[in-house]
Amino acid sequence: MELRERFAFAGETIPGALQALRDAGLATEATILSTCNRVELYVATPLAAETAFVELKKFLVAHHAFDGALGDELYTFAEPQSLHHLFKVASGLDSMVIGETEIFGQLKQAYELAFTHKFTGARLNKAFQRAFNVAKHIRTETNIQRGSVSVMSAAVELAEKIFTSLAEHEVLVIGAGETSEKTARALLSRGARGVVVTNRSPERAAALAAELGGRSVPFEQWPDEFEKIDIAVSSTAAPHHILDRATLAPLMKRRKNRPLLLIDIAVPRDIDPAVNELDNVYLYNVDDLQSIANEYLNLRREEVARCEQIIAEKVAALLAANQAAGAHRHGET
Amino acid sequence: MAWFTDRHFFLLAVTFYGLSTIYSVFLWRKGFRRDDWVNYLLLAGGVALHTLAMTKRGLTLHSCPVNNLYEATTFLLWALGLACLVYSLLPRFKFLAAFTAPVLFTIGVFALMPSLDPPHGPKPEFSGALRSLHAATILQAYGAFGLAAVAAGMFLMQHHDLKFHKLRAMLSLLPSIQRLELITRRLTFVGFGLLTIGLVAGEQLPRQAGMPYFSDAKVIWSALLWLVYLELLAARTFFGRSTRRFTIGVIIAFAALLLTFWITNLYSGLHNQ
Repeated sequence: MELRERFAFAGETIPGALQALRDAGLATEATILSTCNRVELYVATPLAAETAFVELKKFLVAHHAFDGALGDELYTFAEPQSLHHLFKVASGLDSMVIGETEIFGQLKQAYELAFTHKFTGARLNKAFQRAFNVAKHIRTETNIQRGSVSVMSAAVELAEKIFTSLAEHEVLVIGAGETSEKTARALLSRGARGVVVTNRSPERAAALAAELGGRSVPFEQWPDEFEKIDIAVSSTAAPHHILDRATLAPLMKRRKNRPLLLIDIAVPRDIDPAVNELDNVYLYNVDDLQSIANEYLNLRREEVARCEQIIAEKVAALLAANQAAGAHRHGET
Repeated sequence: MAWFTDRHFFLLAVTFYGLSTIYSVFLWRKGFRRDDWVNYLLLAGGVALHTLAMTKRGLTLHSCPVNNLYEATTFLLWALGLACLVYSLLPRFKFLAAFTAPVLFTIGVFALMPSLDPPHGPKPEFSGALRSLHAATILQAYGAFGLAAVAAGMFLMQHHDLKFHKLRAMLSLLPSIQRLELITRRLTFVGFGLLTIGLVAGEQLPRQAGMPYFSDAKVIWSALLWLVYLELLAARTFFGRSTRRFTIGVIIAFAALLLTFWITNLYSGLHNQ
């Protein structure tokens, strides 16, 4: 992380860095991708690959005035591996969370910056355009981006399996903890109608409710809200169950068969598992949500081989097209 | 091509329903993860051939083809298949076809038994606008009940998977349980309405002098069926019966309908004149 921070390029410095690369004769075309997880230079260079790798490394060190030692933290690829890597990055296969889509936007932004400042040409334009197409193809043809890989998004997906539209449903947050806040935010971002916050400290409840654009209720009164809300997220520090079957059963009768999703992210648990035996109640605790997220991750990993196959085919097709166009070889770092 | 009768068209339709059933097994085994049109198109092919079969029979008879058990059964299946195709166009309802195809195939094979389709006389025994309305609305009601049972089955599967934290609930591209419940309830209401119209129309039909309407086995059976569905809807709407029990009730009611439909027909004087 420390090293990535040292080598990171701020957005506004990238055009200058690209110009420096061109001025130094290291690249005829270049794009710099700098995210929290990677710093990558994609270049078309007139130099031989091995020479280019050494020179680009010197450029990076000099540009960032880095005086430390560098080991195998830097990686270099020449064609066809460089194209393979670019396609993998665009598809999220090289990300920490396999299949994540944020990198696609970041890569597009990096390319557009270089394109706008005329630092790309036929070579990189073709490579990047193809990378974006491959990423879209992989997204539609495989399950690499399918499912929720975090506890919060799993909770949202779960809610969408129960309720047709979240816009008609209010969320009750019991305990103003960080995870429950994030879960409530995720539900609100997917259209939940509103949020009700309750906490032992009324000030904290009011503050969180104001932040989320909802309302707060005194902690002693939260059971009264069960008639109105349809999703409850609980994460108090209570050492015992705050909601059990005997308490919930009469409240459910007042709900007239409306389903109720209970998300218990507290440890120790806030909600007695026996409530799941009640009709129309769906209870999930943090382990259940985590196992959903893990299963999705496993499914994504299973899809990697399919994605690699697609990428290999697309790289071969691009190389064949380049060869036909009589393109020159170039190196990338 | 004269040898190619409406029954051949229906046989082809049942073959399509069979192919759709086989494909449904694969979809089921894969947990309904991939959203594709193959099953929908197979079912659409089946319904198209089914429509041809019924049209051909109707043109031959110059009336709505609901004059014997074969015709009544095929009409019921056609109503079910057509409703399924329409409802499958709703978001996330494409897999309805996978749940409906086995029902269409099973009953379709049964309907092909030659004994259900005795040859007609020069004029069908069962004709006239009011009779057609009576038979068509009742059979459409059965179709709606059938589709309600299919949606109820989807609900119970999703409900079970969600309740017991099965990953299939998350991975499958099925509708939310709230929507499945709504569709089940609406279809049951539609079926109940059609059944009511059909029964009222039946009461207006001419019958032997002195023969009370409610003395016929099939009429009594239909009235019982009407009461069963009335109880299901009333318990759900006014007395807070849980969704799970309501959906189980809808499935049991339709299963009972299928199992007793042909038997009561055999014992019905009015329907065997």
